[in-house]
Amino acid sequence: MTTTVPRPRPNINEDIRPFWDAVKERRFKLMRCQTCSAWYWPAAYCRFHANEPFKGNMKWEQASGRGKVFAFNVHRKAFTPAFEAPYVYALIELEEGPMFGSNVIGCRPEDVKIGMPVEVVFSDVEENLILPQFRPSSIVCERA
Amino acid sequence: MQKSLNKKFAIVGMGLLAGRFPQHSQRSLQAEAARLAIEDSGLNPSQVNGAVDLMLAPGSGSPPMETDHFPRILGLPCKMFFSIGRGGAGGVLGTVAATKFLEMGMADYVVLSYGAKDWSRSRGPEKTGIRSIEKIGHWGKPFGDLAAVSHHTFFASRHMHEYGTKSEHFGAIAVAQREWAQLNPEAHFHGRPLTLDDYMNSPMVVEPYRLLDMCMINDGAMAFVLTTAERARDLAKPPVYVLGAGQGEAMESLWWEKANYTRLAVKTAKEVAFREADITIDDVDFAGLYDCFTGEVLFQVEDYGWCKKGEGGPFIASEGIGPNGKININTSGGLLSAYYFGELTHIAEAITQLRGEAGARQVPNARVGIASGHGGEIVSPGMCSTHATLVLGRD
Ligand SMILES: [Zn+2]
Repeated sequence: MTTTVPRPRPNINEDIRPFWDAVKERRFKLMRCQTCSAWYWPAAYCRFHANEPFKGNMKWEQASGRGKVFAFNVHRKAFTPAFEAPYVYALIELEEGPMFGSNVIGCRPEDVKIGMPVEVVFSDVEENLILPQFRPSSIVCERA
Repeated sequence: MQKSLNKKFAIVGMGLLAGRFPQHSQRSLQAEAARLAIEDSGLNPSQVNGAVDLMLAPGSGSPPMETDHFPRILGLPCKMFFSIGRGGAGGVLGTVAATKFLEMGMADYVVLSYGAKDWSRSRGPEKTGIRSIEKIGHWGKPFGDLAAVSHHTFFASRHMHEYGTKSEHFGAIAVAQREWAQLNPEAHFHGRPLTLDDYMNSPMVVEPYRLLDMCMINDGAMAFVLTTAERARDLAKPPVYVLGAGQGEAMESLWWEKANYTRLAVKTAKEVAFREADITIDDVDFAGLYDCFTGEVLFQVEDYGWCKKGEGGPFIASEGIGPNGKININTSGGLLSAYYFGELTHIAEAITQLRGEAGARQVPNARVGIASGHGGEIVSPGMCSTHATLVLGRD
């Protein structure tokens, strides 16, 4: 069903733009420390040691796009007509460590479970809006 | 260790306006509550020479660049004034900051005021839809994460998963606080009792939270006057002393620290506040625990140490936190059933209880009470990373 009310757009500033630019190319990137290999989302200095000026030691790198459902909710009510209930908003524990908030699609809300393996899927939800959403995956990630 | 707060400062006046006030601006409500607080203390407004504007998080709800702040329109001869806020923790943070100005002699009496027009803005004549969506920060808004109830469910979801907490446990909190509200004529839900069946039958909004897991909204303001213990002695009302205060931060650990989804940042806040106040949990006669949602109460009952982590649900359901319960939690009805001014709701109730003015809901011989604040930014995947504790007491 098409809705006439557009979805709210993500807040994109200098810090997060590389992430959303990559999403446009259907790639899922996280920020990675070039000194100790720790992963971050959103952008941050590495908290494990001293950093170079303006996070010079941090780079946006391609990530696996795999994870597990860490926590989730089922919206039985949509707060604007841009969304249609029911839908699932979940906290995905990414294989690399950080958490990422997104939708779980491709299954009924009733079938979403904590610990369920998921993988990123790039959805053309509207014209000029691609979102990194997650769907059930048969690949069980290493972490957790 | 040298104490910074313990009984050195006191709250000497309070003003409270809760309800629907579409005809008044937010700062007018703040000014009027401040006027009431000053009147309550017996001071002349010309003696009140400090003021603090208690705000929500910057940019969300409170006009940040107001030209005529409440002390100016009230005509207070202020030598010091500032705005301070961090979600539902600004009242505690403002109190701590104001004590330093009093200690330095920069002011004799400081009035702190918080205002809200949440009802007018969301349901009333100034209706703009949902309260606010930050225009900065990494919200999950394109994914439909548009309301506080959405991301707050993550905590409930994890607690249910890890500890087997059930809807009925959250319901027991909603019911207990509604019972307290029946004893508080100023509570919004006074005269409207609630059963566990009512709770279970209330519509699921964002699963696992139902409508009755969510706090209410209103317009109004809450203000109080703070001064030194010495100056507090000869005023109209018995002093309510600041015994201790503390703040804790989830950002102590990594953003994705898993334990942060089943606890609030109580540990450091409580340690510092209780050390200052020289108390243990057994000394607390009543507590106002920040209750934007029922789950936050459950987590704090565990985090403050009334029971072990994970046992909050069964503890609350069997021991009780209502008028006939084992511990006295949110005796006004709280944010769920009385009125919503962030943790100022709980500070107002603590003042009322410690003055012995709580009527039918008065906790007998109440000497020590706590009010807790919770809040901060919503930066998906983290949220509300701060917790604040204020310990108040009487002679
Ligand atoms: Zn590093």
